[in-house]
Amino acid sequence: MVLQELGSKINGALSKLNTASVVDEAAVDSVLKEIAGALLMSDVNVRTVAEMRTNIKREVMQDSIRAGSTSKAKQIRNAVFNELVRLLSPDVDAYRPVKGKANVFMFVGLQGSGKTTSIAKFANYWARKGWKTAMVCCDTFRAGALDQMKQNAIKLRIPYFGNPLEADPVKLAEEGTKHFRDEGYEIILVDTSGRHQQEAELFEEMEQVMDVVEPDEVIFVMDSTIGQAVADQASAFKKSVPVGSVIITKLDGHAKGGGALSAVAATNAPITFIGTGEHFDEMERFDARSFVSRLMGLGDMRGFMEK
Amino acid sequence: FFQRLTGQKPLTREDLSLPIETMQKQLQAQNVSAVAAREICEAVMQDLEGQKLGSMTRGVSTAVRESCEKALQRLLAPKRSIDVLREARAAKAEGRPYTIVFIGVNGVGKSTSLSKVCYYLKNNGLKVMLCACDTFRSGAIEQLKVHSKNLGVPVFEAGYNKDAASVAVNGIKQAKDTGMDVVLIDTAGRMQNNEPLMRSLTKLVAKTKPDLCVQVVEALAGNDATDQLVHFDKALKDFSETTVPRTIDGMIMTKFDTIGDKVGGAISLVHATGQPIIFVGTGQKYTNINKLNAKKIVRVLLQ
Ligand SMILES: Nc1nc2c(ncn2[C@@H]2O[C@H](COP(=O)(O)OP(=O)(O)OP(=O)(O)O)[C@@H](O)[C@H]2O)c(=O)[nH]1
Ligand SMILES: Nc1nc2c(ncn2[C@@H]2O[C@H](COP(=O)(O)OP(=O)(O)OP(=O)(O)O)[C@@H](O)[C@H]2O)c(=O)[nH]1
Ligand SMILES: [Mg+2]
Ligand SMILES: [Mg+2]
Repeated sequence: MVLQELGSKINGALSKLNTASVVDEAAVDSVLKEIAGALLMSDVNVRTVAEMRTNIKREVMQDSIRAGSTSKAKQIRNAVFNELVRLLSPDVDAYRPVKGKANVFMFVGLQGSGKTTSIAKFANYWARKGWKTAMVCCDTFRAGALDQMKQNAIKLRIPYFGNPLEADPVKLAEEGTKHFRDEGYEIILVDTSGRHQQEAELFEEMEQVMDVVEPDEVIFVMDSTIGQAVADQASAFKKSVPVGSVIITKLDGHAKGGGALSAVAATNAPITFIGTGEHFDEMERFDARSFVSRLMGLGDMRGFMEK
Repeated sequence: FFQRLTGQKPLTREDLSLPIETMQKQLQAQNVSAVAAREICEAVMQDLEGQKLGSMTRGVSTAVRESCEKALQRLLAPKRSIDVLREARAAKAEGRPYTIVFIGVNGVGKSTSLSKVCYYLKNNGLKVMLCACDTFRSGAIEQLKVHSKNLGVPVFEAGYNKDAASVAVNGIKQAKDTGMDVVLIDTAGRMQNNEPLMRSLTKLVAKTKPDLCVQVVEALAGNDATDQLVHFDKALKDFSETTVPRTIDGMIMTKFDTIGDKVGGAISLVHATGQPIIFVGTGQKYTNINKLNAKKIVRVLLQ
């Protein structure tokens, strides 16, 4: 099943309850089975799904009041909602930058996922809060990559480091981060080329960049339109570098971003921000509750978001 | 169990439902949309119900596989085929440049695909010009300039924040004046539901009246890929001021090298839109462009 269909699957299963005359344990079981199937096919971890199913059932059956079928459906919906929120909130926290020292973030992800743009937004976010912020370009592959960062940097009035004559991303990473560490920068953002697990050399390169950069956090940037391949790619990135948090981009489109579930499951890293447009201020703090609302088709997440 | 199924008794729905359901799950796990998978399996059911299995060795699941293979092949067979090289040569014979506009959502690979098509046409002896109409995204113009330098072809540009439609029109004019055979027009990425941006794209397409309007989509995308195509096509119709709007002619599907065996996106897209896949992108080099290999996709899906 394609991830975005998750919401409609869940709602479809729940609407069956509305039409059922009696809601007994068997009816609840059958709905939960359907929902679990939908989650499993969304590449959500088997153990997580089983756990979720037990939790929901416990919560729903605990209620001894013989509620009508409509309220039972509502109750299950709420339970599913809570469980999905829990799923999107792994126990680990994202790295919190420390004032007065160099905090280095390394951005990684598939081609075109939105790394360079997210770096500009992220830089803007911290710079506006008064942190001394800079960006480093280690993308020596994509045509015009340095110009892209340079033009963003000029618009934002934030310093950047890059060298059009240097073809080795590892050297650039080393020089760039050293330069800004020495200059007392607090937020240093390292941009890397897009890559995918099928090309082993690209992953090796990423590991080498990481070794010289020694980032405080590796951020995996994920496009919300991505389908079934996301789980494979996200786990491959996690295996290669210690992904500490996730940014989901392009949520201003139609995609519900169901793949986020798989990314979190695969990386066990929290989502920190979402991208909602191409402009530098179009990035919002991730909020699991409004995200799940959108995923389940319970209304748009905008308006719920903390800016 | 197999004895009974492989015998001369005609296949019933009950015999078929389990293997077909398994097949449907497999297709969906490989990024075929639920709707497409369901319809394909429906076709398989219709094909096999009531049939007798010939040889003893041919089990039900084999029959399902074979039938499914046929259904998939049928789906992927282009209803219209587009031969870019032949069309471009025909335009050249008429003494006018052949124009292609590349459209699509952000980051799918429009500019890269444009550079690959340039490489392909140039190697086939055509004089190609690039036209930088992404006047919004940082670095977009320099990106095309790098390709222009690498490939040894001219690029037309008029700087950032310019009206993209006018840049395109002027670019085509310059191509005519300088005796170019092909103009490849790059556009800014945009989300399918961004109305102002979709309107300005419609304007660009209406003004340039390209010979070919291709939408670039990623093989990585899930259901959203279909949504992108449907909404771009609809916008080109709805926002057009003419009675015969210029709409999408076909697609380029990129990033096939990044999806492993999850190649089902091609099936969902063709199923939902009926648009032909003109090229597929299989990497980040100029040579990584191919015609769609339907056999290979079906083989990967059913392996
Ligand atoms: N609509 C929208 N577009 C976005 C968002 N984030 C990034 N983009 C666009 O997506 C496209 C690709 O973004 P980039 O930042 O270049 O992606 P990248 O990951 O750096 O790409 P590579 O370096 O080639 O791997 C650009 O057109 C961006 O403007 C978002 O949240 N919403
Ligand atoms: N692996 C792989 N990467 C690709 C392919 N096609 C494009 N890319 C990469 O995807 C990223 C984005 O490509 P672009 O051509 O800049 O995408 P675009 O659609 O023009 O992006 P915007 O103009 O920002 O909307 C780049 O890193 C490309 O190298 C492909 O077939 N395979
Ligand atoms: Mg980049
Ligand atoms: Mg582009």
